[in-house]
Amino acid sequence: MEERKYNIRILSENRELVAIDEFRVVKSAINVLLGESGIGKSLISLAIAGLIDPDELDVHIDGRPYRSYLNSKEAIEIRRNGFFVFQEPSSHLNPLKTLRMQLREGSLEEAPGEESILRKLWQNPKLAEYENILDVYPKPYRPSGGEKQRILAAMAFKKMASTAGSSKGSVYFFDEPTGNLDNKLRNEFLDLLVENFGESRPTILLITHDYSMISRFIGKYPAIGKNIYYRELMLEHGRLRLRDFQPREYLLWLEKRVAAKPPAEKKEMILRLQPEIKVFGRTLHISRDPAGNTPAPLVIRKGTVTYLKAPSGTGKTTIVKIMMGLIKSEKMSMELGDTVYSEETSRNAWAGRVWGKQMTMVFQHADESLNLNSKVKDVFSGLPVVGSMSKEEIADAISELFEEAPTREFLNKKVRFLSGGQKQRLNLLRSLILHTDIIILDEPLNGLDFLSVAKVITMIETKLQSGIGIMVISHNEEVFDTMVGPENIYYLNSSSLD
Amino acid sequence: MKILRILHKEHSSLRTRLLIHCAGILLMACIFWIFISMYEISRVESRQSEKEIQKYLDLNYIDFGNPLDRTLFRESLEIFYKGQTQRNDSLLTAIDNLRQRQFSDPSYKTVENPNGLTWQVLQKLGGMYLQFIAVYAVVLLVIYFAAQRIAVYRFIKMKQHRESYISQAFDIVTGADKKSAGKAAALIIKAFLKGMLYMLLFSPAYVIAYSVKTTIDTSSVIFMILLGIISNGVLIHTANKFFTFLTGESRKGYIQTAVVKNLNASYEWNAPEGIPIKTMLHIKHGLRSHVFQAIFENARFQFIPALKEHASFLVTGLIIIEMALNIQGHFCYVLLQQILYRQYDIAAVIIFGIFLAVKLTEIVIDIWEYMEKKKYGY
Amino acid sequence: MDINTSIRKFGFQDLFNRKDLLWLIIWIAGLGLLWIWNALFLNAPAFARLQTAFLNSLLTGMMVVVFSLVLGWITGVSLHLLERSELKTGFAILSFVTDMLRSIPQIIAVLIGYVILTMLLYKGIIQSSFIQLIWIAGTISIAVFLEVADTIKQRIDYYRTLDFVDAMLCCGIKIRRIINIEILWKNSKSHLLHKLIAIFGVSIFLQCSIDFIISVGLSTDVSLINFPMTLGNLLANVDSKQDILALSNLFTDLGYLPEIFKRHLQGLSVASCIVFSLLCIYMIANGFVRRKKLI
Repeated sequence: MEERKYNIRILSENRELVAIDEFRVVKSAINVLLGESGIGKSLISLAIAGLIDPDELDVHIDGRPYRSYLNSKEAIEIRRNGFFVFQEPSSHLNPLKTLRMQLREGSLEEAPGEESILRKLWQNPKLAEYENILDVYPKPYRPSGGEKQRILAAMAFKKMASTAGSSKGSVYFFDEPTGNLDNKLRNEFLDLLVENFGESRPTILLITHDYSMISRFIGKYPAIGKNIYYRELMLEHGRLRLRDFQPREYLLWLEKRVAAKPPAEKKEMILRLQPEIKVFGRTLHISRDPAGNTPAPLVIRKGTVTYLKAPSGTGKTTIVKIMMGLIKSEKMSMELGDTVYSEETSRNAWAGRVWGKQMTMVFQHADESLNLNSKVKDVFSGLPVVGSMSKEEIADAISELFEEAPTREFLNKKVRFLSGGQKQRLNLLRSLILHTDIIILDEPLNGLDFLSVAKVITMIETKLQSGIGIMVISHNEEVFDTMVGPENIYYLNSSSLD
Repeated sequence: MKILRILHKEHSSLRTRLLIHCAGILLMACIFWIFISMYEISRVESRQSEKEIQKYLDLNYIDFGNPLDRTLFRESLEIFYKGQTQRNDSLLTAIDNLRQRQFSDPSYKTVENPNGLTWQVLQKLGGMYLQFIAVYAVVLLVIYFAAQRIAVYRFIKMKQHRESYISQAFDIVTGADKKSAGKAAALIIKAFLKGMLYMLLFSPAYVIAYSVKTTIDTSSVIFMILLGIISNGVLIHTANKFFTFLTGESRKGYIQTAVVKNLNASYEWNAPEGIPIKTMLHIKHGLRSHVFQAIFENARFQFIPALKEHASFLVTGLIIIEMALNIQGHFCYVLLQQILYRQYDIAAVIIFGIFLAVKLTEIVIDIWEYMEKKKYGY
Repeated sequence: MDINTSIRKFGFQDLFNRKDLLWLIIWIAGLGLLWIWNALFLNAPAFARLQTAFLNSLLTGMMVVVFSLVLGWITGVSLHLLERSELKTGFAILSFVTDMLRSIPQIIAVLIGYVILTMLLYKGIIQSSFIQLIWIAGTISIAVFLEVADTIKQRIDYYRTLDFVDAMLCCGIKIRRIINIEILWKNSKSHLLHKLIAIFGVSIFLQCSIDFIISVGLSTDVSLINFPMTLGNLLANVDSKQDILALSNLFTDLGYLPEIFKRHLQGLSVASCIVFSLLCIYMIANGFVRRKKLI
């Protein structure tokens, strides 16, 4: 096992963003890099890939200034033979070039295997299904995030195929490459990754929060297990450290949860959403089976988690936004308490009766949902309940979720300086503090490390005991299936109105 | 034909925008028409009443400046209009006011267009307007291209991490090679000239024009065009806007993707993976395998709608030039003259003309933006 | 050697990284130098006029900034709220009006304001110099405030594209608070400050230009003497114009340069004050953008 150890320090205007003494990458292996969002995984990877602008950030690798690293043989080799699949697919595609043009640009122009790669990533469809997408100029809304993500992955696999003979020294970075994919598509991606790795054995750095990848790797590819290294980037006493992560840690936790799963129990209904919803020229159907053969109203009950599943891009977030009155639908009917809400209900009705009172929602990106320029203590300003809560009560609520009494320093810290996990927990806490009847959680495990996942799950379970109804949408089926019984699982399907 | 097609139903977003522009033009036309009509009515009324008063002023045996004559006139009025003291006092006050106005008000002096807005006046204004529009179009076009090149040059220089002239000169002076004093002096001169150029680009037009007035014919159209381009900060602000777009785009994710696809990314002039200096002349098509191509195209895409605000500022600059340079027979100078002579009807027509120029620019830019967007599937 | 090394060499690293502050210092230092030179060589009445003109222009510029901020804030927020509400007609009307205003070149709007001011002065309705300055500032603000309104609307629209607003609404936070405090106050101060610096520069430019235009002959009833002394007003003064015209002599006789700095000081000082201020304000705004990473 050949390992490259990096000493990396990244500063912005004299403020240290990242500092790690020993960041290890095993050569000719799949390095799975876990850890909560915002801790510095992407920044470290970008630094190694030579993609940070030295005018923007002050970077030192192995004590050398970044410009010197950029001119080193190693960095030149990485840039020439490697590839980087970026986390945010929308902004990483040129809006003024079609996807086909972008797939055949630069060193990808002559690269072989484009068609077979695309077929696999699109689950072997008829040619026309992805051919249509290739002539699209990417926009924020079209093609979907998942499609864009697969195009970026296809670029990486094309490059891998073209450098197959000279892969020594090449490094491929995949930064959250499945963040927009459902489990099925994620598995297709992983299969293709393993297949390509098996052929040319490049160095792969796979950054992810998705711990369920572990089960897939171990379950489906036991043979290459010795070539997969799981590492978790974590903060320890204010210093970054890379620790070896034992997959057993996660698998055992899952096993325990399955064993402790509570029996089914029918509780009082709080909300009922009729199964047919029309929006943006599409009809969304809620049913009890994945194929959509048994339409059923979605019901949220007291003290119960309701889980809505669907392939990526179907409209899960759209449905919950309709339920929250944030998107106006063409047809819908929802009973909440004694009131019926429909497509004709005015937004003011939701504002006056629902938001923060009967129902609330936690959005998936804590970075977007919270005001990063607010202090931690100010996150709760303006909430309907805060007027009636003392500072001590707020501090208590924070300590409950953060498992320690918040210091004055912590309360006065700007949200932007919190870690990804802390932000996500704060995001949850802002809704939990409201005492609503229902909380909708959109990808609540997004960006969390394993410890934070466990904490959030515990917190949801504690909250359920107070009688609140929770609705979840999440790609992380492996975790939520340990919590929700089949009687509370719903599936979403979509069809075009015409 | 293309424009007609654009107005077709399927292009509803553009149609709405064009309709808004047309409604704006129509509304403004109505406002000005009402204003001109009302002004004309009040002018006829005031001329009528002045005519009445003028009868008295035309009496050559009365000098209204002479107190004795005034008293005699007042008493005569008392004889003819006995008991109507208030009426007689008012008449005398009106006579005094008219006399004062005729003495001090410029509109009672040599007025170029004494009959207000006539067909002849409109024809004359039309000619001036065409010249104004021609100058405006030329300046706008030159600024559009020049600003892009200046911004691109500045952007590439920034990417080259070159030191400032002063810093380079400092290096030479403090370095071992003391013999290069000439080089250091040249650098300092360059820095000085650069500073002067900046000052020139920020100078209001009248400062430049007055400082060269005795050596150059400042009333020529060529000088006006030149002044329109370089003065009032228009060029530098427009170039800065484009530079902002270039910088913003260069930080976007798709540029990183282009880099990992091994597109050329060096910014050295004429280097193998760099930028051939001759492409500065045809940037749009000259850098196919360089990441800068994508940066430029995306910046240009955003620059088109931004041109609207710069066009409006450019018109402001041209108005200032025409007014401040006091150039007879120019559209905006005539506007100033008409305001001075209180010929507000003519002034209103000129202002409407200027408004129309800006609106037409906005319409052209909206159509252009729409076509560009269509090209890229928006 | 990279730029940082050379900066260290000068010993001004922090200052060079804060180009806005550096140019603010250059501006103040330049004006200070000009003040000392004038104190030494310019005759006392002209020197007093120059100081008054500068202070009045500065004061007017500041008032324009305040008025524009208030007008822009109200307009930007109203446009956003109306666009989102069911009052589509209200939005259509307000956006139509702002659209119309945008199509009127700034100098024309200011000129109309001055024509009205001239009438008010002629009729004796306005007499105090301070009120005149407020009027001038108000007029210029109407011509430029849309830039602030646009910035405000852009900022709100940007946050609308994120989960930011929806996430807060779902928690029961009022939209007024989300817009005014969470978006504009906590997240847009730098953007607004940058815009206000630029507006300050534009207001100086417009003030000077309009005063100069008036000198060409907007009115004989109200001469420049009746208006408060500003930089443009002073530049339009016959003496200053003569001083600027004298610059032409340099094209034929460079030896005339010392005379320019002594005999033609008033015009030269006013012109330099205007041009140098415009340059510095532009540099300050640009430096601010870079330091705050607004692009």
